[in-house]
Amino acid sequence: MNSLILASVLNKDEPMQPLDALLLAVIGIAVVFVVLIALMFIIWLMGKIFDGSDKLKEKHPEWGEKLAKTKEKMMFWKKKENKEPAESFEVQEVAEGTCGDVKLINVSERDAAMIMAIVADSTGTPLNELRFVSIKKVEEEK
Amino acid sequence: MNIGEIIKNLWEGSGYYLFGADQGWKSIIMIIVAFFFLYLGIKKKFEPLLLVGIAFGMLLTNLPAGVSDALFHPDWWTGPDAVQNGVDYLNVLQHGGLLDILYIGVKTGVYPCLIFMGVGAMTDFGPMLSRPSSLILGAAAQMGIYLVFILASCMGGLYTGGEAASISIIAGADGPTAIFLTKQLAPQILAPIAVAAYSYMALIPLLQPPFMKLLTTKKERMTIMQSSRKVSKKEKIIFPILVTVVVCLLLPSVAPLLGSLMFGNLLKECGVTERLSDTAQNALMNIVTLFLGISVGATAVAATFLTTKTLVIVVLGLAGFVLATISGLLIGKILYVVSKGKINPLIGSAGVSAVPMAARVSNTVGLKSNNSNYLLMHAMGPNVAGVIGSAVAAGFLLAVFG
Repeated sequence: MNSLILASVLNKDEPMQPLDALLLAVIGIAVVFVVLIALMFIIWLMGKIFDGSDKLKEKHPEWGEKLAKTKEKMMFWKKKENKEPAESFEVQEVAEGTCGDVKLINVSERDAAMIMAIVADSTGTPLNELRFVSIKKVEEEK
Repeated sequence: MNIGEIIKNLWEGSGYYLFGADQGWKSIIMIIVAFFFLYLGIKKKFEPLLLVGIAFGMLLTNLPAGVSDALFHPDWWTGPDAVQNGVDYLNVLQHGGLLDILYIGVKTGVYPCLIFMGVGAMTDFGPMLSRPSSLILGAAAQMGIYLVFILASCMGGLYTGGEAASISIIAGADGPTAIFLTKQLAPQILAPIAVAAYSYMALIPLLQPPFMKLLTTKKERMTIMQSSRKVSKKEKIIFPILVTVVVCLLLPSVAPLLGSLMFGNLLKECGVTERLSDTAQNALMNIVTLFLGISVGATAVAATFLTTKTLVIVVLGLAGFVLATISGLLIGKILYVVSKGKINPLIGSAGVSAVPMAARVSNTVGLKSNNSNYLLMHAMGPNVAGVIGSAVAAGFLLAVFG
């Protein structure tokens, strides 16, 4: 007969004594509860951390905006480093379009729309078949 | 040429003649059982994806020798020689039939793990993450496992420790876990365990409601639960990684099952492996379910299946399901009191891990008491917690008897 007191690992091929089975069952259910309660605590803690960070963002919306702007600037400079020497242009909002996004550098949306319309007219190509990557104002040398 | 002799030889070589041979009646009973399971699967739609496969495997393997020998050899897997010296896989690969080859996946524990991967890819742990107390209900329903373990051990030595542990896991209502544990602790009773586990899972809509109504008051059943907090994507990604580390370090024996479940869930939640997630929950899951069903059914051979032991296993399995349901409901009632009537105790019965059937039953019973009481999402929490709970319970039994 198996005995919990005699062996740490029981022989699966021998019958168990009822009292040993009872003891094993009590330990078993305790293990299940301990593991799942530990998980419950971890989940609760995780929830508190995430809820806390969301509340902080709500309380200080300017932090979120600053972070978003920093991220945007970092992306811009990363692209710039790969393409052309860095210049201190003012980064404006990206114009919305049906055919992708175009980056506007020191150009108003109104001017950009006019430029795109002129290009489309002079090349005889419909506007939705043209792709503008960026429109940049070139400063005249004085 | 003697025509009479030829006809006699033909008759004696046919399967019909062999039915009349010694113990042939047992095969006939098993074939009738297979027909009954086919009826339940096809007509009544009880877990058809598995039950149809199991029933057909049972039918094939109980056809008389000569027919079934070309498909499956039970002695190679559970015969005295296999138990004593281990399975001769070279012989299986060289001379085995189709079902012998497919059964390798069951014997090595590959199928249950792959099924768990698919289950993980289909499971949303969000309801559990939003209400962590669900885990208590998931743990409570596992009490059925240990109560059946005590019962099986009190049968005057009818079952060994490994067999008692395997029988008890039926109460977990988790087919892959039952197969994973039994193939290691008591492969000789794998067929009745698998058949009982999947049959009772299919019968959950019939088994649970009477006890749910008996153990709860109308007022408790009418409790409308408020929606809990919204769970972020990051939490859903971190959870499977965290569970794998925390639980597998504590119970390494459960790593194959729980690791697969959490890996599948990570594929679903991380958002960059959509193709893999899709394969895990559809193509892979379907293939493994196909192989698992037919090869498990094939182990239900008359000679080993129609015994007193099997009949008692079926009864103990039923008792396990009932005890698991009652345990979940009772802890649900305690939570109802502790939460001052905010938690509906009906979700306690969903702690048995038959996903999502047990949660659907909670929802249905809740709706019958109050037609605007939708408990499905609330019951999914204990339901998926039950999957983790039954895997932990199996891991403990494997660690003790391994």
